[in-house]
Amino acid sequence: MGSLRDVLSPFTAWKHVIETPVTIKNPIGREAADRYRGFHQNDTDKCIGCGSCEDICQNAAIDMIPVDNPKDGDSGLRPQIDYGRCCWCALCVDVCMTGSLTMSNEYTWVDSDPDAFRFIPGVDKMPWDDFEKGYERQGDRMLSGLTRPEMAELEPEARIGNFDEIVAGYSREQAVLEADRCVECGLCVATCPAHMDIPDYIAAIREGDYDLGTQILYETNPFSEVCGRVCTHKCETVCAAQYEGEPIAIRWLKRHIIDNVSEERRLEIVGTPQVLPTGQKVAVVGAGPAGLTAAYDLARSGHAVTVFEAQDKPGGMMRYGIPEYRLPYDALDRDIAVIKAQGVEIKTGTRIGTDITLDQLKADYDATVLSIGLHLGRSTRVPGSDAPGVEAAIDLLRRITAGEEVPVPKKVAVIGGGNVAMDIARSMARLQKQKFGEVGVTVTALEDFDHFLADKEEVTESFEEGIEILDARGPQEIVTFKSGKRKGHVKGLRTWKVTSIFDEQGRFTPQYDEGDEMVHEVEMVVEAIGQMADISLLGDELTEALEWNRGRIAVDADGHTSEPWLWGGGDAVHGPDVIHAVADGHKIAASVNVALMAKAEAEK
Amino acid sequence: MRDLIEKLTPRYTLGNATYQRADLTFVDVTRDELRALLLELRDKEGFTHLVLLTAVDWIEEGKFQLTYMINNREADQTLGLRLYIDRNDAEGDTIHDIWPTAATYQRELREMFGIAFPGSPRVDEEFILEGWTDMPPYRRDFDTLAYSQQTYVEREGRETHDPRATMKHKMYPEG
Amino acid sequence: MFSFQPDRSQYPDVGPDGKFEIDLETGKFLKLWHGPNHPGITGNMSVELTVNGDEVVEGYTHVGYLHRGFEKLMERRTFIQVFPIVCRVCVPEPDFNEYCYAAAVEELAGIEVPEEANWIRTLILEMGRFNSYMMAMGGIAGALGNGVIGQWMTYVRDLMLDRFEELTGARIYHMFILPGGVRAGLPEGFEARMEEVLQTAERYLDDVEKVLFTNAVFKKRTKGVGYIDPKLFESYGVTGPNARAGGVAKDVRKDSPYLVYDQLSFEVPVEQDSDIWARSIVRYRDLRLTIDLIRQILAKMPKGGEVMTSLPNVLHWKIPRGETYIKGESSRGEYGYYLVTDGSGYPRRVNVRGPSYTHAMALLEHLIPGTNIADVAALMVSLHTYPPEIER
Repeated sequence: MGSLRDVLSPFTAWKHVIETPVTIKNPIGREAADRYRGFHQNDTDKCIGCGSCEDICQNAAIDMIPVDNPKDGDSGLRPQIDYGRCCWCALCVDVCMTGSLTMSNEYTWVDSDPDAFRFIPGVDKMPWDDFEKGYERQGDRMLSGLTRPEMAELEPEARIGNFDEIVAGYSREQAVLEADRCVECGLCVATCPAHMDIPDYIAAIREGDYDLGTQILYETNPFSEVCGRVCTHKCETVCAAQYEGEPIAIRWLKRHIIDNVSEERRLEIVGTPQVLPTGQKVAVVGAGPAGLTAAYDLARSGHAVTVFEAQDKPGGMMRYGIPEYRLPYDALDRDIAVIKAQGVEIKTGTRIGTDITLDQLKADYDATVLSIGLHLGRSTRVPGSDAPGVEAAIDLLRRITAGEEVPVPKKVAVIGGGNVAMDIARSMARLQKQKFGEVGVTVTALEDFDHFLADKEEVTESFEEGIEILDARGPQEIVTFKSGKRKGHVKGLRTWKVTSIFDEQGRFTPQYDEGDEMVHEVEMVVEAIGQMADISLLGDELTEALEWNRGRIAVDADGHTSEPWLWGGGDAVHGPDVIHAVADGHKIAASVNVALMAKAEAEK
Repeated sequence: MRDLIEKLTPRYTLGNATYQRADLTFVDVTRDELRALLLELRDKEGFTHLVLLTAVDWIEEGKFQLTYMINNREADQTLGLRLYIDRNDAEGDTIHDIWPTAATYQRELREMFGIAFPGSPRVDEEFILEGWTDMPPYRRDFDTLAYSQQTYVEREGRETHDPRATMKHKMYPEG
Repeated sequence: MFSFQPDRSQYPDVGPDGKFEIDLETGKFLKLWHGPNHPGITGNMSVELTVNGDEVVEGYTHVGYLHRGFEKLMERRTFIQVFPIVCRVCVPEPDFNEYCYAAAVEELAGIEVPEEANWIRTLILEMGRFNSYMMAMGGIAGALGNGVIGQWMTYVRDLMLDRFEELTGARIYHMFILPGGVRAGLPEGFEARMEEVLQTAERYLDDVEKVLFTNAVFKKRTKGVGYIDPKLFESYGVTGPNARAGGVAKDVRKDSPYLVYDQLSFEVPVEQDSDIWARSIVRYRDLRLTIDLIRQILAKMPKGGEVMTSLPNVLHWKIPRGETYIKGESSRGEYGYYLVTDGSGYPRRVNVRGPSYTHAMALLEHLIPGTNIADVAALMVSLHTYPPEIER
């Protein structure tokens, strides 16, 4: 039995009678802890609607809902959360690619309508939208990688004296690391003019299935060697990974796939046309990316395709505009070999208008595709721009590729700030290095570095190679020798500091600070301020008959011109861009196909 | 643990030993030797504690893996014995007389995986799933999502959109 | 002499095997459902009792009232998506699920966890143990009619929930320990606020000692009642305080130290009598130990450093084929996760080893025959079982 103490001791509990009650009278309104995970907040200006939150939600509580006025690089969707399902785990916050999604510390909310508990944070205004407290990620994203593996490339000293390819391409280990970072939102697919299935081929890299990767690439683009090196990669500008960290190196991953599949294997994977010949003939003018893509598609649909190319080799601007150190010719040749294997005939050295006329093509072929590119350089038309020693960048690049002799002086000035300006500056620098052992190129660009047109890597690498780039300088005159043996020849370039380029209406009217004048002493000035199409091959009659759009041939959404037999696409129609040209090629091929089928039906 | 495995190897068919950690080892065993091995491990090697008994469904290989996890507390060693049985004729041998608590595990395996343990007490009585008529639900081919879709009604008003398709349409309306 | 006990002579005869011949038709036996709604039951389970007078002759545990198929649901979720649902296997002490799952994934995926995260994990687990024991104290007192202790313990537990809230961002299901580390470090001033809670807890525990353990009724109702023969421990898989109350110092924290337990100094409380009293007092002493451990952790742990490792992209995270078992000492005994991976992005199998699985099933069913109806609740609560561990 217990002692007396065991009987009396429990009565000490009575002392609690005089204690103040510890319960909270009204729990609604009790503030939660600072990092409490309560109702969501979404900074809709930051959110890009990539849907990673929806993917990770294990309760399927999130839907992506269209909203008004999305910004650029934004799917136009915002997460709507069903709080009947949400378990407040905050994985959506942890995975959020932009850091826009957070949680307030508000957790009490009374409403008699159950559907009220399903809303779009940030869009449907809520009292806690501006709460500072609540849950947000500590530091950087932890649930997917932030940075790219570093790409091996030639050091400046090793590359400046030659035209060897600079970038080495990813190793398997690097590519897998990079491929792992992709969250497969598909904003890149939407943005890519050719809508390449980027997340799918990146997944193929992770799986190590390069055959599948190649197959996916060829579904949307027969120029993976080219685009894997020089694509303008608009996809990377919308990549969800860029907001905290670097965008996925989509271009290098594409190249990695194609690097790992031999030419023979590629032909096996892609195969040859699997349809009966239609007996219909298509002529393609210009063996650039648009023309050859159209030719590839049309040949695979069973048509007999002939491509006419004025230059000695096919490839168009990919061969004659892009320097070899960025795109080696044999890489281009490998892409073209697969296209040729489809039965496409490429007649090089055949200039329309000279060797054969468009009228003949119209008569001999069921359809004609015009993809002539932009092969004429624009001039600044400043005083002296017609002097000997003034060159057009595009013409020089072509001559370098063709192996023609080009003048290589010790000092060269380049006018322009785009990628073509960088291409010719770096090409001339290489030739100078080979000839004199040193580089003497000055690039003058209208834009300042904050608004530069050329890719960042191009500028960085140019600097590394010893090229001088002067930003915000407008050309005023190409100074020439007034007397002596070299009278009339280029002596220098006079520039003023640019204060603004566009006026308030957004029109191109550069303003200068005339007090800030420089004269760059050079023997050659290269103009790299834009290109235009050589439309002389059309002839007067066709030029008259066609509809035009600001100096370019007008086409409809399918690439059809106002003439029923003629389609147009590529740079000449849509401006310079390889991947856009590829997209044009597909569109044109599809449209030609439909027209030819209708024609065949009618002839039956 | 390598010592123990080596010591037992001449007398038992032990395969595929995995030394997962210093204190955790997995090894394949055969059905006819299981009982003798368990008794020896329990009575002579100090593995007196049955940690768990459960199954893994390797449906692609047509097998169930029964995992008998036992522990020697003194030596701080855990040993997982893997026994593969035919999935189509799933039957194990009861060990409730070695560890009475195994009866509960075996009853659960019977119910959740459809593995028979003849002779195990109350093995055929319902355990967790009173009134269940579908296939044993922890088998891989039981589809929980399909089951819930057939059994329950989704609340209306939910609809989602694909970021890729939505953005593509926005940027390239004509396709 | 007058007695409240009925005359035993009206009971049926005992059979040759020492058991009653149970035939409900005789009217001498009664089926009594103890639960699932009963103040003396822990959580949603029930014990089907067959009684003869007030003596229980047979008892069977019934579970399934909250089966949600967690182990199966985990197989349908990616490795990161499993993380928010593991904690739901156990309400009072959910953190063990988070720790065991995270550690299992980390081991099979080869992920290193920052040192500070291990300290915070240990802290969280001890805070969870604190809460669980608070409920156990209230439970055992409540099962014997002493409701006020349950109210005190609930209050103290609520103060600890406040600390959980400010540390993890949630009160019950913390979803804080994820593969790779923990979500955040200690908030500013946490140690001082924790110390306040611990001191309040100690004050109330002093009262518990006076009201519960220095109490003639409690002693009468628990001493010598619900005895478990320590010889049964191994055959019935008895672990944790239930074993420690019978003289076996089983404790994973000591036997197989995990996290930072090897850097903490403590002795595991052990009692010898193996009855309800011993199990209650062992828990009480263990709760005191937990308070001491929380103090030790806060004093010794590094602060302000990294608490989370960068993971591979979790949206398509694959883990090579393998299997592992991670265990820890929960407030009820050995708690473990058996994780099997098959190289895909989903677990092949997750098996949760909860101590209640054996304690509330085979062991309880073994102990029940021969007890008094009024003692069943105390017996069961003294085993400290949580039904969700049984049916997961």
